Amino acid sequence: MLIVESSALLARARAGDPDALEDLYRAFEAPAFTLARRICRTTEDAEDVVQEAFFEVCRSIRQYRGEGSLWGWVRTITASKALMRLRRNKYRDADDLDEELHVSRRADQHLRMDLEAALERLPEVSRAVVWLHDVEGYTHEEIAGMMGKTVSFSKSQLARAHTRLRRWLGEESVA
Amino acid sequence: MTHLSMAELVALREPASAPGTAAAREHLAGCAGCQVELERLHQRAARLKALPSLRPARDQWPAVHARLAAERRRRRHQWLGISGLALAASVALALVVPDLVRPKRLDASTEISEVMARSHDLERALDSYNPDSRVTDGLTARVAGELEDRIGTIDRQLEMAQMLDPREGQPELLRLWRERVGLLDALVDVHVTRASDVGL
Repeated sequence: MLIVESSALLARARAGDPDALEDLYRAFEAPAFTLARRICRTTEDAEDVVQEAFFEVCRSIRQYRGEGSLWGWVRTITASKALMRLRRNKYRDADDLDEELHVSRRADQHLRMDLEAALERLPEVSRAVVWLHDVEGYTHEEIAGMMGKTVSFSKSQLARAHTRLRRWLGEESVA
Repeated sequence: MTHLSMAELVALREPASAPGTAAAREHLAGCAGCQVELERLHQRAARLKALPSLRPARDQWPAVHARLAAERRRRRHQWLGISGLALAASVALALVVPDLVRPKRLDASTEISEVMARSHDLERALDSYNPDSRVTDGLTARVAGELEDRIGTIDRQLEMAQMLDPREGQPELLRLWRERVGLLDALVDVHVTRASDVGL
């Protein structure tokens, strides 16, 4: 990933050099797809998000001022596109699932999943918040801004996500 | 004994101590159970970060590149419309105010105008062929993509050349427009010849 931070390559990408733009895509393809896939429901959605994000990155690379890392800039574009895709798909808000989860809680007590499966099982919004906060390092303020929600919403979604993960991972015992 | 809620534990992980966490910290200091829960929370976040990186099953770059080429083509058409008007105005000015323009410059303008007209004709031919709506083989797509890229580079150079002083800029403009016409000729040839080969 470091290679694309070179000023020469960046200058070529800004000038519209297709080889430089492709180098940029190759460098960030995996982290961008990982981010998109963790937020989106399906692999196909995540692939579409990556395509949308890099189309946007290539179109607006001249606007990148070098403030912060290039990956940070690409990541924000990718996260925004993924969240936009969630909204377009009319995601089910975590609150909508409360009753359903309450009913299935008893079954959950005997259920132990690995982390990846548990993450996948989270409602879309909770999963997006936990990934953006705990893995990508965004603050609640930044997540709220990207999602068009309040800071409290982001905080409560993170707490709900961890409550569920704890249960599904079989870690619920001490407190 | 009431233990800390998940919301309180999550708040304790924030880098800056959030308001209202003092009581939670006090409880945490004397509660082994909550200390274990907080540690598990840290561990869970660390394990999330350690999940493997993923890669798309299909390479998305060809689609991104094709979309960029299509957009560049659209922008080129818009830009050509504007630059065509600007050039027509400058030629008209040269004809109306001969004192201000040397004959040599008028010749260059006329020549540029002719090359531009040829460029417009080729763009129209390409439009009527509508390559975006056709299925092309890999080699044709690659050659066409390379030509599109080179035309895109010429267009950026044309934008720069138009900002130069007209006396200095006209020879460069003429050279670039000629090069552009050559590349467009090749692009039309690539698409149309290939289509004829397969009987489309």
